[in-house]
Amino acid sequence: MSGWLKAASKACALVLLVALTVAILMGATAYTPSLELRPLAEFYLESTLNVYDKSRWAAAPEAVTAMLWDYRGLDTVFESTVFILAVVGSAALFRFSEASLLSHGSKPGERLEEGLSIIVRVVTRIVFALIVALSAAIAFHGHLTPGGGFQAGSILSIAPLLAIAALSRRFVEGLGLTKNSCRALEAAGFLFIASISLLPLATVLGGLGACIIQNQQKPWLPPPGFSYPFELGPIWTGGSLILFNVAEYLAVSSGFTLLFILLALPEEFFRGLMRR
Amino acid sequence: MMELLAQAAWAYLYAMLIATAAVSIYGVVAKPNMLKKVIALTILGDTANTLFIFIGYRLGSTTPPVLTTLTPSPTDIASFVALAVDPVPQCLVITAVVINMAVTALLLFLAIQAYRLHGTLDARRLSKLRG
Repeated sequence: MSGWLKAASKACALVLLVALTVAILMGATAYTPSLELRPLAEFYLESTLNVYDKSRWAAAPEAVTAMLWDYRGLDTVFESTVFILAVVGSAALFRFSEASLLSHGSKPGERLEEGLSIIVRVVTRIVFALIVALSAAIAFHGHLTPGGGFQAGSILSIAPLLAIAALSRRFVEGLGLTKNSCRALEAAGFLFIASISLLPLATVLGGLGACIIQNQQKPWLPPPGFSYPFELGPIWTGGSLILFNVAEYLAVSSGFTLLFILLALPEEFFRGLMRR
Repeated sequence: MMELLAQAAWAYLYAMLIATAAVSIYGVVAKPNMLKKVIALTILGDTANTLFIFIGYRLGSTTPPVLTTLTPSPTDIASFVALAVDPVPQCLVITAVVINMAVTALLLFLAIQAYRLHGTLDARRLSKLRG
């Protein structure tokens, strides 16, 4: 009976798969890309750096970052909240007291030489520096070139992962990237995002018109008010975009580093915790 | 003739992506091992993101949605609008990628903890646990 059921369910899945594929095949022929642009995309492309009509501009030549942190800023802030909650949830699953971690052979400021062969270790150190430099460049130019806080944070978190694999977890902790410092950096990044989003609202108390997550001033508000400076001397900052990118860079990279450090703890350490 | 061929190619692309999504949904539902469920879920997320990027593609477009000058003339803006790809799907996908990674990490942490506590990753046995 159960064998028959299994065969039937497999047949059902196969029929479902074929039906879905055929349905999409027939539907997809009606949609092939053309040079036509959707009105929404046209609006974003037209107004992101429209110096002739500044009523809806974001002061950034990069339309994707302008959408991410200006036009659809509220959405991105809540998506970062999902990210933070996922990291906090993971850390809560692997919770333990700090004293027990210290007893597991790691002292602050100590960098132990262990891991793979000398060739791998030297190459890893060079690549480590390159990854950090590259990710910083991507984060700080996020409003000018393709890239931004999310991308740069993911790239930077590769550096400690590489160091854990080639050198050791203790090397990363010797650099100061311990569980608690990562957690503090992540919280600092998220607080930074929250304060940049709420700062324009503070100007409402001064009688100016402002929205939450406002980048440039909105001329249609009764007394047009606050806008982040989009040009500091020779540096184009894109208003709040550079601040948001750096804050997200901090939050994402330290969040992933925290997860990698927790995953790199040896299994017998947790076994020992559970026996107590 | 060429147009028909292009249409068929795009239809094939979409069909394959949907088929991959269907297979990964089957994996999430039918595989008893928690680790395999997580792997299927990541494949589902990546397939959805790829589909999004393809929807944002513009046939004949030559530039990414990035203006190359900080002082654009009206013709610059006009040619930018005429030739850049759709930025909306790219914007949606980049957050989705990072959130996917964080959620995958959370699920893996859950699976590891479940294995430590109960010695199994089999969903059928884990669902029978009480108290």
